[in-house]
Amino acid sequence: MSDPVSQILQLVTSTYFLEIVVFPGLISIAILGAFFTWFERKLTARVQLRIGPSYSSPVGGILQGFADIIKLLFKELIIPEGADRFFFIMSPVTALIIGAALLGLIPFAPGVQIANVEVGLPAFLAIVTLSPTLVLLAGWSANSKFPFIGGLRALFQQTAYEIPLWLSALGVVMITGTLNLTGIVQFQQNNGWLILPQALGAVLFIVTSTAEMERLPFDLPEAESEIMMGWQAEYPGPLFMLVQGPAFIKLYAFAALFSTLYLGGYLGPAIIPPIVWFFLKTIVIIVAVMLFRSTFPRVRLDQLLRQGWTTLLTLSIVNIVIAYFIVVGLPAI
Amino acid sequence: MTDLSFLALATVTVASAILALEARDLVYGAAALGISFLGIAGLFFLLDASYTGVFQIAVYIGAVVVLILFTVMLVGPQLGEPPLELKRLSLLTALLVSLLLGTAGSLTSAASFPGPDSCGAGCDLVRLSTTLINQYGVPLEFLSLVLAAAVIGALTLAKAERKG
Amino acid sequence: MEPLTSFFAVSVVLLGIGIYGLTTKRNALRILFSIELIYNAANLNIIAFARLRDPPIVTGQVLVLFTIALAAMEASVGLAIIMLVSRLNVDIDLRKLDRLKG
Repeated sequence: MSDPVSQILQLVTSTYFLEIVVFPGLISIAILGAFFTWFERKLTARVQLRIGPSYSSPVGGILQGFADIIKLLFKELIIPEGADRFFFIMSPVTALIIGAALLGLIPFAPGVQIANVEVGLPAFLAIVTLSPTLVLLAGWSANSKFPFIGGLRALFQQTAYEIPLWLSALGVVMITGTLNLTGIVQFQQNNGWLILPQALGAVLFIVTSTAEMERLPFDLPEAESEIMMGWQAEYPGPLFMLVQGPAFIKLYAFAALFSTLYLGGYLGPAIIPPIVWFFLKTIVIIVAVMLFRSTFPRVRLDQLLRQGWTTLLTLSIVNIVIAYFIVVGLPAI
Repeated sequence: MTDLSFLALATVTVASAILALEARDLVYGAAALGISFLGIAGLFFLLDASYTGVFQIAVYIGAVVVLILFTVMLVGPQLGEPPLELKRLSLLTALLVSLLLGTAGSLTSAASFPGPDSCGAGCDLVRLSTTLINQYGVPLEFLSLVLAAAVIGALTLAKAERKG
Repeated sequence: MEPLTSFFAVSVVLLGIGIYGLTTKRNALRILFSIELIYNAANLNIIAFARLRDPPIVTGQVLVLFTIALAAMEASVGLAIIMLVSRLNVDIDLRKLDRLKG
């Protein structure tokens, strides 16, 4: 037996460990999560001709996210009577773990990727399929009607949009011929960004990933004005932070995946280092998704499910046919 | 391969399998079953079957566990467990069967069974997909038909439930 | 210990747990858990043998892809039946469900 203790020691003192914990790992995710909270509120406010958060620091309220964290930590932790404590607390914690795992698969810069798995893209999407389970458990464990209905709605929505998500990413795989995320970026280095031949796929990907993340216009499960924040209704102070965290981490992860698949990841002219290119593209996608929130009204659940299972599924199959013709070449008609 | 990752994954898989059967509440049992599936997926990754591991996560934990949880939540809490004598007999049966199969299996070593299918060191994703499409294309089509039949069956059952 | 033996041991232990659950429990859902455990034990065994034999082959992974899909289908149909039965009777004790009709 090759000495587990020395293996653990080797693991902790490597640069790999530094990558996991600091960047692009856990600490940077936490700081960026707090930053995105402020960013979204400021952006939404400016679109609606308001000022937005401005009190927490001299520079336009940029520390608002951190102020929220400190405030939430001081609130009282009330767990509903009859609630299932284990799942009530573990579901958001597991969702955080899943979000961090998603970010571990993405190439941030040449060589800066925590897990270069050969099947990186399906691994990302497979981890995404774990989130409906967690939302169902979170909704059920609160032992109350609004959260359970919200949990069921979230389950239906996320399950319905998984298939168009996989199929729209399939178009990218057909063209690049590899499931590895670094390989996809390198393909785009030689052959140009994939957003042009896969425009339909890119649009489908953004729409289905917005539905997977439960952001507006698809945020019925946490509808603030309808069912009292849905499955998040019973979560008190510090746990609420644990519930909101995964939402932003998923946003970051999906935007990073979009820029890797369709916008060439960290590629760009060498004036700016690749990591800055990556973040520029990711922030563009995040701004676009945040603008959806300010622009579109909420979609009703039956409309949502019907569109997911019929229109989006058909369009993703059309996308696959388009990708087929791009691969084989137009004379194949 | 008897190093830290294998030991950890094997322990997690077996422990959560036992927990899945012995937990009082079925929801805990279903969650423990999901963790067991995750352990199996990890063991698949250790065996260089990365695509199969991803498939296991997406299908078993992403779909089957959700279905089980859904059913458990809608069916509700059920009865307890049978008396102890029956349990002892079943434990003995399980041990005997496992010992029998284990002895039979450990007699087959990793000897070579040469066949038309050896891929040597090149057993990777490309090899898997070419084999799947070229040699097993017809079963793949039949699998989709079976899937369609299962979906139709489940929908019919759901409809019968609503009518009755 | 040879790698193949250790993977095989895990598979056999899971099989034993599955058989124990299948013969002991009378709640239909627990029996479904046991069936899924037996499926997983078999899948693990197939992949371990396919990879760790000499020379390794890829057919094990192909077979396991098929069996994972089939097991998921069978679980979903089985769960639909369990839900239907629990609506008609109150009890899903499999020892009492021994009539084919009604």
